[in-house]
Amino acid sequence: MFLRMITKTLIRQKSKMIMIAFTVVLGVSLSTAMMNVMLGVGDKVNRELKVYGANITVRHKDAALMSDLYGLEGQGVNDKFLREDDVLKLKSIFWGFNILDFAPILEGRANLNGSEVSIIGTWPEKHATLPTGEELHTGLKSLRTWWEISGEWLNEDDNNSVMIGNLLASQKNIHVNDTVTIDGKTFNVKGIFNDGGNDDSKVLMTLPSAQKLLNLNGRVSDIEVSALTTPDNDLARKAAQDPRSLSPEEYETWYCTAYVSAICHQIQEVIEDGVAKPVRQVAESEGTILNKTTLLMILITILSSIGSALAISNLITASVIERSQELGLLKALGAYNWQIVLLVLAEVMITGIAGGVVGYFMGIGFAQIIGQTVFGSYIEIARMVILIVAVILFLVTLIGSIPAIRYLMALKPTEVLHGK
Amino acid sequence: MANNTEKRNRHGSRRKMYIRMVAGSLIRRASRLIIAVLAIAIGATILSGLVTIYYDIPEQLGREFRSYGANLIVLPRGESKITRETLQKLRGLIGDEKIVGMAPYRYQTVKINEQPYIIAGTDLTEAEKNSPFWYVEGSWGNSADVSQVMTGHEIAQTLGLKLGDTFMVQGVKYGHHAEASRQDLSAEENQKRDSARQNFHRNFTVKGIVSTGGAEEGFIFADIDMLDELIGDTFRADVIECSIVADAEELSALSERIENEIPELMPRAVRRLTQSQDIVLGKLQALVLLVTVVVLIITMISVYTTMTAMIAERRREIALKKALGAENRLVMGELLGEGVMLGFIGGALGVFLGFEFALRVSLNVFGRGINFQPVLIPATIAIFIIITVTASIIPVRRVMDIHPAIVLKGE
Amino acid sequence: MPKTILQLQNVSKIYGNLKALADINLSVNAGDWLSIMGPSGSGKTTMINIIGCMDTPSTGSVILDGTDISKENAANLTRIRRDKIGLIFQQFHLISYLTAVENVMVAQYYHSMPDEEEALEALAKVGLADRANHLPAQLSGGEQQRVCIARALINSPQILLGDEPTGNLDEENEGIVVDIFRRLHEEGVTIIVVTHDPEVGDVAQRKIILEHGRIVDDIDQSATFGEALRLKGKGRV
Repeated sequence: MFLRMITKTLIRQKSKMIMIAFTVVLGVSLSTAMMNVMLGVGDKVNRELKVYGANITVRHKDAALMSDLYGLEGQGVNDKFLREDDVLKLKSIFWGFNILDFAPILEGRANLNGSEVSIIGTWPEKHATLPTGEELHTGLKSLRTWWEISGEWLNEDDNNSVMIGNLLASQKNIHVNDTVTIDGKTFNVKGIFNDGGNDDSKVLMTLPSAQKLLNLNGRVSDIEVSALTTPDNDLARKAAQDPRSLSPEEYETWYCTAYVSAICHQIQEVIEDGVAKPVRQVAESEGTILNKTTLLMILITILSSIGSALAISNLITASVIERSQELGLLKALGAYNWQIVLLVLAEVMITGIAGGVVGYFMGIGFAQIIGQTVFGSYIEIARMVILIVAVILFLVTLIGSIPAIRYLMALKPTEVLHGK
Repeated sequence: MANNTEKRNRHGSRRKMYIRMVAGSLIRRASRLIIAVLAIAIGATILSGLVTIYYDIPEQLGREFRSYGANLIVLPRGESKITRETLQKLRGLIGDEKIVGMAPYRYQTVKINEQPYIIAGTDLTEAEKNSPFWYVEGSWGNSADVSQVMTGHEIAQTLGLKLGDTFMVQGVKYGHHAEASRQDLSAEENQKRDSARQNFHRNFTVKGIVSTGGAEEGFIFADIDMLDELIGDTFRADVIECSIVADAEELSALSERIENEIPELMPRAVRRLTQSQDIVLGKLQALVLLVTVVVLIITMISVYTTMTAMIAERRREIALKKALGAENRLVMGELLGEGVMLGFIGGALGVFLGFEFALRVSLNVFGRGINFQPVLIPATIAIFIIITVTASIIPVRRVMDIHPAIVLKGE
Repeated sequence: MPKTILQLQNVSKIYGNLKALADINLSVNAGDWLSIMGPSGSGKTTMINIIGCMDTPSTGSVILDGTDISKENAANLTRIRRDKIGLIFQQFHLISYLTAVENVMVAQYYHSMPDEEEALEALAKVGLADRANHLPAQLSGGEQQRVCIARALINSPQILLGDEPTGNLDEENEGIVVDIFRRLHEEGVTIIVVTHDPEVGDVAQRKIILEHGRIVDDIDQSATFGEALRLKGKGRV
């Protein structure tokens, strides 16, 4: 009989139950979408922040810094080099999957049309197949997203072409498709780039050309690496000072978390004589932005979840109170309070579950719309959201029914029947 | 005349009854209306809170992006250097509220242990604001104690310097040229020559060691005024690094203004930062916008459904009023009045809760207050009045078509 | 010759296949006290809807106070209803958030002008002067029904139409209500009461009995009316 009454109410009170279910659908979809976005936003924003370029540089451990800030000559010339053969090993480290882009750099000086300039040899693009079978596509082009190019980027094997920084180009009155002579060898100017920084007075060429010009076969001076990292915490800072100061458990945690210091540590393990250092300007700042963005999303998620929870509980209260007459009748017919309460709860729960399931899938849809629109990629679905939303929904329906239940308890059957 | 007065009285009396009915409905049904007011207030809180955050995000996050450091480098045009007057002029032109940090730099080659190094004289307080990403072991120097300086990590390593160590810097005063050590003189004689009038030397203590992972690790950072005095010159900066709250477009407009009004300067936006900031900030803004829109749509629909549920329980009352001879438009008028009042109360409550919420978020996330858009107050209230009124009238319209006869027998 | 206030000619009401009223002919004089009786489903409610200007017949004409209302639209019916008909319901139907006097004033408001003094007078007439500022929830069933009667009378309708007006009342309150009806009858108000309670049905000058949508009996109770009234209306106001 109990089941019969529930089914009858669900069917007969269709419009009201549909309304509750509808609100549950909305509320659940909102929370699901927001939680998935919140959990996914770190990864997405992290990838977006890669436009700032490399956050790790690798150098020979004895190499002195080339102090060339604002074109001022510093002391010391770099005469220690890394091996080009080691560069691809970067992808083989524990966090290799987090290394999104990298490019070797060979810097030196050469004579361009009669005056000495800085030249950079690099992989403009690099396509290779790793021993693991993974296809690799990287290169400096992905690390210089902010460059404004007139003409074109160099290709992987454009060994007879160069790109020239716009300051140098205007100084020397060089245009795209001109021919320049560098250390006696002629190159075609394929593009002119605007970096807005130091590189504007440099010449960019492929690594083999530079190695030949500088007579440094198989050598690179540093490697720029762009990696997805986890913002630093106390453990990471402690480890950055000296990994040996960590306890074995701490070391385990640190090594298996994508902290920039952990990734640097692992890079050093594969690059012979290499020292990997975080570029603090990028590494530190992206941590700041990531933390702020995530916190912002968390707060918005909490607000909207509270909002939808209140809305659902509110509507349940409203609709149960509205049915007080009918429920009072049941009371007059001799139903115990708990029987009525159970009836109401069962109805609301069934409606809530139905709405919740639909809402969950709608919410995933919303999350994907947001992911596609904003970041152009899918947001990973976090399974724990199901659990969180289910628990919240259960509590919300329960809490929403409380005022109505209290009202029912206090209700005298006579009041109902004599219609106030 | 008498007729007119009577008419006016009649109107007054009708209006009084109208107010009495609406007020009666609102006050005496208070316990039930709390549900409606709560629903509206939640909606209004979310609306005003999110919209406030959305409006403030570019500004707030823009400031966060300044943690990437200087985004505008100002160089002197030609061979001249930047004077203090020009620096002040530049500061005035950009405006203090836009400037996060603005540090002039003067680079001077000096010798330590007969090896050449570069000492960068700057306004250390401003440099600190410019460079939140620097990791400084020890602490930042300041203009109060000029003999305490910061050295780059590279230099510290090469020279074997630790915090608190003292080292001596030697160099040639401004306007003089260093003479090479002459082979024919003894070391003692050479040293003597160096300490003559055109040379300087001074001892410094290491107060901080700077790690950045970049070129900064190869410099010594000291107070610019001290450096000027040491080399016997007035203020002349090689470059000014500015960290300015602005996107790429604003920054290029600003550069143009600087070029026009202070022709001796050559501003260059750091494309790496400006372009990237535009891309990332654009995405973040789009994210918050989309989230705001989704949340708002869903919230408004749920406010609407709650209102609809609330109004459904009044079917019978409406039918009764019709049975008593009320015209549709009168019944509508009463519901409208109630809707307006509910929307107003809930909306007003929500606006202030929303502002409070936005402020909390801003303080938590950005550690700063937030700018409220006063226009949100009337806008939010108006939106929720519209929602409540629509939510009251649309379901009631259907009731209107129902015969007043439903009051006859309890349904 | 008394004036005919209401005349139904060949009135039928058909809902789909169901003939709720079939060819009804009825004429009511001004000042009459009429009761309509019949079992459930006999067409009583349909009859009230039509007399109370809340519905129109499928065929036939209804002449109320000289006007044919059978073809009027809903808006006009509303206007006619509020001018000519006072309704009393079994469930009282007072607006829960308005006081007794305000509930009476609502009817004035929709009719023409709310007038608190007049409304208080009307309440005094049904013996509720001291309860005027109570909310319906604070009133007993009988008191609520008296407010309902005061509300029905406030605009001086041609016909007082009661739908089981005593259906929800105990015997004492039933007596009070009948007594009020008696006084109204003496003042010349036309009263039509629909009921299935034979005792209440007896308290009328004339009783018609409906069955399957037809008038099966039309009884003149003038002779027994006084006695029934004395029995029922023993309550004091």
